[in-house]
Amino acid sequence: MARVGVFVCFCGANIADFVDVPAVVQEAKKIKEVKVAVEYKYMCSDPGQGMIRDAIVQNRLTSVVVAACSPRMHEKTFRKALLDAGLNPYMLEIANIREHSSWVHQKDKKAATEKASDLVRMAVAKSIANEQLHEISVPVTKRALVIGGGIAGIQAALDIADAHIPVTLVEKSPSIGGRMAQLDETFPTLDCSQCILTPKMVDVASHPYIELIPYSEVIELDGYVGNYKAKIKKKASYVDFSSCTGCGACTQKCPVKVPNEFNMNIDKRKAIYTPFPQAVPNKPVIDAEHCTMLLKGKCGICAKFCEKGSINFKMVDEVIEREIGAVVIATGYDLWDPKPYEEYGVGRYKDIITSLEFERMVSASGPTNGVPVRPSDGKVPKNVVFIKCIGSRDEAKGIEYCSKICCMYTAKHAILLHHKVHDSHAYIFYMDIRAAGKGYEEFVKRAQVETAATYLRGRVSKIYKKGDKLMVRGEDAQIGQVVEVESDLVVLATAVIAPKDNPALARLLGVSYDKYGYMSEAHPKLRPVETAKAGIFLAGCTQAPKDIPDTVAQASACAAKVCGLFAGDTLKKDPMISTINNEFCSGCQNCVKVCPYQAIVTEEIPLGHGSKELRTVAKINEGVCQGCGSCVAICRSMAISLAGFTDPQIINEIVAI
Amino acid sequence: MITLGLLEKNTFLEAVNKKSGANVLECYQCGKCVSTCPVSGYMDFPPREVMQMIKLGLKEETYMANSMWFCLTCSACSGRCPREIDIPAVMEAVRHLAIEENYRSENKKVKDIRKFHDIFLDMIKRYGRNYELRMMAEFNIRTRNLFKDMHLAPKALLKGKIPIGHESTKSGKAIRKMYKLVDKLEKANK
Amino acid sequence: MNKLTYFPGCSAHGTSEEFDHTLKLVMKSLDVQMEEIPDWNCCGATSAHVMTENLALALPMRNLVLAEKLENKTMGIACASCYSRMKSTKKHLDENPELARKINSTVIDEGEYKGIIDIKSMLQYCVEEIGLETIKSKVTRSLSGLKIACYYGCLLTRPKDVTHFDSPEYPMSMDYLMEALGAKAVEFDYKTECCGASFSISDTEIVESLSGKILEVAKESGAHLIVVACPLCQSNLDMRQPDIEKHTGKKFDLPIMYFTQLMALAFGFPEKELKLPKHIVPVEAALKHIGEVIPEAEKVKKTKKAVEAESEVE
Repeated sequence: MARVGVFVCFCGANIADFVDVPAVVQEAKKIKEVKVAVEYKYMCSDPGQGMIRDAIVQNRLTSVVVAACSPRMHEKTFRKALLDAGLNPYMLEIANIREHSSWVHQKDKKAATEKASDLVRMAVAKSIANEQLHEISVPVTKRALVIGGGIAGIQAALDIADAHIPVTLVEKSPSIGGRMAQLDETFPTLDCSQCILTPKMVDVASHPYIELIPYSEVIELDGYVGNYKAKIKKKASYVDFSSCTGCGACTQKCPVKVPNEFNMNIDKRKAIYTPFPQAVPNKPVIDAEHCTMLLKGKCGICAKFCEKGSINFKMVDEVIEREIGAVVIATGYDLWDPKPYEEYGVGRYKDIITSLEFERMVSASGPTNGVPVRPSDGKVPKNVVFIKCIGSRDEAKGIEYCSKICCMYTAKHAILLHHKVHDSHAYIFYMDIRAAGKGYEEFVKRAQVETAATYLRGRVSKIYKKGDKLMVRGEDAQIGQVVEVESDLVVLATAVIAPKDNPALARLLGVSYDKYGYMSEAHPKLRPVETAKAGIFLAGCTQAPKDIPDTVAQASACAAKVCGLFAGDTLKKDPMISTINNEFCSGCQNCVKVCPYQAIVTEEIPLGHGSKELRTVAKINEGVCQGCGSCVAICRSMAISLAGFTDPQIINEIVAI
Repeated sequence: MITLGLLEKNTFLEAVNKKSGANVLECYQCGKCVSTCPVSGYMDFPPREVMQMIKLGLKEETYMANSMWFCLTCSACSGRCPREIDIPAVMEAVRHLAIEENYRSENKKVKDIRKFHDIFLDMIKRYGRNYELRMMAEFNIRTRNLFKDMHLAPKALLKGKIPIGHESTKSGKAIRKMYKLVDKLEKANK
Repeated sequence: MNKLTYFPGCSAHGTSEEFDHTLKLVMKSLDVQMEEIPDWNCCGATSAHVMTENLALALPMRNLVLAEKLENKTMGIACASCYSRMKSTKKHLDENPELARKINSTVIDEGEYKGIIDIKSMLQYCVEEIGLETIKSKVTRSLSGLKIACYYGCLLTRPKDVTHFDSPEYPMSMDYLMEALGAKAVEFDYKTECCGASFSISDTEIVESLSGKILEVAKESGAHLIVVACPLCQSNLDMRQPDIEKHTGKKFDLPIMYFTQLMALAFGFPEKELKLPKHIVPVEAALKHIGEVIPEAEKVKKTKKAVEAESEVE
């Protein structure tokens, strides 16, 4: 005989204001199987939980109904209370009388109370058919895969590896380092970016627990948390890294010149190249799209001059496999192309550049020896106009959000310009100045006071040419005047955008992404480094624009999550998954097709006991199944049952109302 | 100095939003419209400030400003507005509301502009098509500036740049009927 | 033979007679039969919509109803201001059928408004419907040697959701059209800046300031003349030019021509068909540049974007 306990929560005023809680308790008492029904102000509190525990013991309850807020809030809390009282935690049912009654029916207390009673009755009926379930254990492969070798990926890899967990770090370009390697100095300390980055890059290369796979991409990921299988394509570099000494003779001799993407196409690189001098690994690769030998079968000078004979034009792409327990996505960001700003003459005027181009110019190891120059005539500019919010905060151009870092790096650019060109003057057109980090406001003040940069509040409306100068027109709202700045060079702080390959990668990994291509976190406030898919984590700008301190923090957070995941020998899994009754399975495989997690496969089983003939039935992979119930709905033989939502349980609910 | 917090409801904002189809609340005061507008220098309050005035509910000040009378409806501002606000429509809404509620600025330039438009619409009512010479003459008379543009007259008239005569539609009756029916429509809407 | 419903606008037989006349000539050469709307009325121009709501819709409505009676697919409008009023009205009415019915009732004697006619500016019609290749094929006298600043004004390409034509910031259709005639279109940053429009009479100072700046930038860009597609722009830049020169002390000597006049010239029509005497700033001196050779150094290398856009337009 079922013995059910009903516990109705006031939830302060959240429920009590719109639902008559004592009335619900009285209604519950009328149900035959309900042996105890009580109310309390905050059921989730310690005393509240204590109440449940005591009631279970005293009344020998077989199942418990808590009428309160959404199970997403406290299901875990109440299940633990059951466990502590010696009752199987899955004998709990929660009637959500907050989100489903009180919060949505605020205008009619009587009706809301009736509905709450209905919900309780349904929960009681369901709980009578509940079965005792037990958490499932799945094995866990203790190796992490980090996708992306920028500062986010590097930090995550180092932290995980320092915990003696092997890491496979995959990077798309020939070297790790990412965007940070392109920066000159970083705000707010004006540290030399490469100087603080390269020690970490070297650590990655020499760490005993890190396997660095450069010039490669992840092309497939199968499996589930703790048990993933990744396929990685190693692009042919046409250079044998084991024999290559990195002497650079090949690069010197190569006759082909290609726009240098590391320097934002300001200068050229060769078809065989290392992206920058401090590259890790410091071995060249051949760019197959531009190498004359690979395209036309002519040249091959690099091979002729290589003393070690490391160049091999016959190399092909290689696909390798790795067994993985967790994945960290750290693919970084791209910069928006400001071409849509026709009013600024982007594309028509050479002396309009992006902020990253400016950054490369002022870098000591950059294409212009650390001095900004005008692309049109190579002269050093005196008046430089910086325009913020290019693309960002501009719905007409398709980007609503703020890119977070531009206010700070523009202040930095004003300072760097002042250092490099002493008689220069910076003019900064802005809408706001966002300097919310530690030391950031002080840094902006430094830019304004030390360099006397002119900050003008107003969006630029037009840029036009006058002789060899560019006239930049905008309003200075502080004095209510339209101003035109006669400038030598215009630098656009273009919006940070998600890498264009993010959506494809997300689909490959089975995670979601938002309308801008940023990977979606599980919860924007409380779960910023997890995705909705267990075992896959996010670090850095791949999730949203952020600066280096936040990126490093998020990367370390991912590492902590991975370590937590790998702490035990097995992983515990929610038992509310589907099971198949082979007796009824006809082998139609509709469930295989409909499962969004590819958790169902087929197997051959004997027709009957001892029979040699086989038949096909479906088989659910316990570890992958997320309990969505799609297979249950589609199975025409009613062979599949979802634990926690079985037919008897559901039918009980329906009959109860 | 302006004191705020006195209005119970910003009916001015609601009226402007309704008439223009735009939402003035979306304006984040970036100022791109001000430096775009070719005549913002002539306005008491450039477009950005007009938006703020509407948000503050400063109806009288906005009606008596000359801003909306200088708006050329060239749509350069709305083309560049990052929030895609139809600024000419907002200007037009304020202007029409001012006319409906009988606000008349004492500013000479605004009075001249209003006179010009009244004369133009009168020409169309009479002739169905514009009669430039007569319009220019009437404007000079009513603004008490008889000799304005007189220096252009000989060359312009001789070359036929400004025609001496005029054309009308054959169906003057149809035009006058239209004016009458439109009048009725406006009264019915009130 | 293509048929086109034609709305001339108030200035067509007066102030911008040269526009109307040369337009008809070149359209004939291009096998387009123009049907002028019988008994059209003024579209209301600036004054109607500045001062009124419903009259501003009723005046164009009458023209639309009359135009639809001619049963051609497209209506071409020469004056940019008339084009803007008619097309904006049509868009507004098509989006508010109840309002359209009310406005229609004020001109119900002329007929019912069906909303079926497509409206294009004459520049748009030439570029989109006739096409640059066809126009190029009719050129018998190349305008090579002539450097032209193409001035679009506000209303040919703005607002974007009404015109759906070219770029609102840096359009190139007229530039490509001029180049199809053999001339060189110079880089001109002020091609869509307002000339001062209807303030020509009511606040001439504004026109002098705005048009003055346009003339200045056009002069600096090395143009021999400015080509326009709107009678009001032409009037402001041409008729007011002597006053602007006097008040600013700058010399421009920039004749202002309609694109149809240049088309007529290139198609081989004699100069007297262009009605050049009507211009306040004389045109003859500028036309003498036809046939000159432009030095290599001056030839502007087209940006990649322009070349791409060019191939899109054609």
